[in-house]
Amino acid sequence: MMIWLTGIMLVIAAAAGLLVVLSRDPKRQIFALCANGLVLSLLFFALQAPDVALSEIVVGAVVVPLLFLVALAAVAVARVRE
Amino acid sequence: MRTRFRAAALTASAAALFPAAWAVIAAMPPFGEHVSPYGAAVNAVVPAARHVSNMVAAVNFDLRGLDTLGEESMLLCAVTGTVVLLRGARGEGTSGSAVRLPGRAVAQRSDATILVCRFAATLLFFFGVYVALHGLVTPGGGFQGGVIIASGLLLLYLGEGYAHWRSIVRGRILSFLEGAGALLFVLVGAIPLALGKAAFRNILPLGTFRDLYAGGTMVVVNAAVACAVAGGFTLILLEFMEETRAPETEREPGEGG
Repeated sequence: MMIWLTGIMLVIAAAAGLLVVLSRDPKRQIFALCANGLVLSLLFFALQAPDVALSEIVVGAVVVPLLFLVALAAVAVARVRE
Repeated sequence: MRTRFRAAALTASAAALFPAAWAVIAAMPPFGEHVSPYGAAVNAVVPAARHVSNMVAAVNFDLRGLDTLGEESMLLCAVTGTVVLLRGARGEGTSGSAVRLPGRAVAQRSDATILVCRFAATLLFFFGVYVALHGLVTPGGGFQGGVIIASGLLLLYLGEGYAHWRSIVRGRILSFLEGAGALLFVLVGAIPLALGKAAFRNILPLGTFRDLYAGGTMVVVNAAVACAVAGGFTLILLEFMEETRAPETEREPGEGG
């Protein structure tokens, strides 16, 4: 049962990573990265590492995508000002 | 032509590298097997020696406290560097509103969004405090609690909008938390040295096993890490959010660096 769960989670994690690489629009890519972080944290939870899952869910699914989003916004603002 | 050449090069290099890769894969231990004798030794010795039940926290904050001090100073350097870089180009002003792109409609937040964000942010904040407090008993600890607190404060931004968020979350308090956490960590390492013992020697009373405040100096280090991480992460988020602030006056390029 556990091995099946882990296997399914691994496949979903690989698919989510593939989505990040394949999406071309930066905004979509950021949200794909968000989903990837979420899936990874579930995988860590399934592998009995809840503390790592807690860090991953915040850092991988919230902080890093947010920094990218703000960077995108800054680029858009700079383009308008030019 | 070039695509074909690339495909051929890929196939050739994959064929050449496959035996080596397979040798490594075949020699790996089976999935899920515990191979670390150090981990087994920690599990056997530390509950009795340090009176805590979260072995990860015990390794991070006591047995290998020096390594965590290194990570802590890395976090401090990274936060300082980010703040200096971003603030240097922008100045220290705090007032103002978020920038608006011309031609884009500004959507008003619905009352439901504001309400849910206020509830969720409060819950998340206290959950972060809870995770940090119980770091030595259950999985979690200062780092996890700190980042959860930071994300809770970020949720306030979602609900309140830029100007309100900026008046709630103060940069000075955050930088104080970050610096004080790092200083406290250094003191925990250095005070035993001043007493003529090894650095990071656990000199405080250990308390009863599995008690919330058991673990001696680990309790202090855990609190220090929680403060430093919550302050540092929120400060980074704040500085990045400041990048989206509308400038008070248009400056000449190159001025006020």
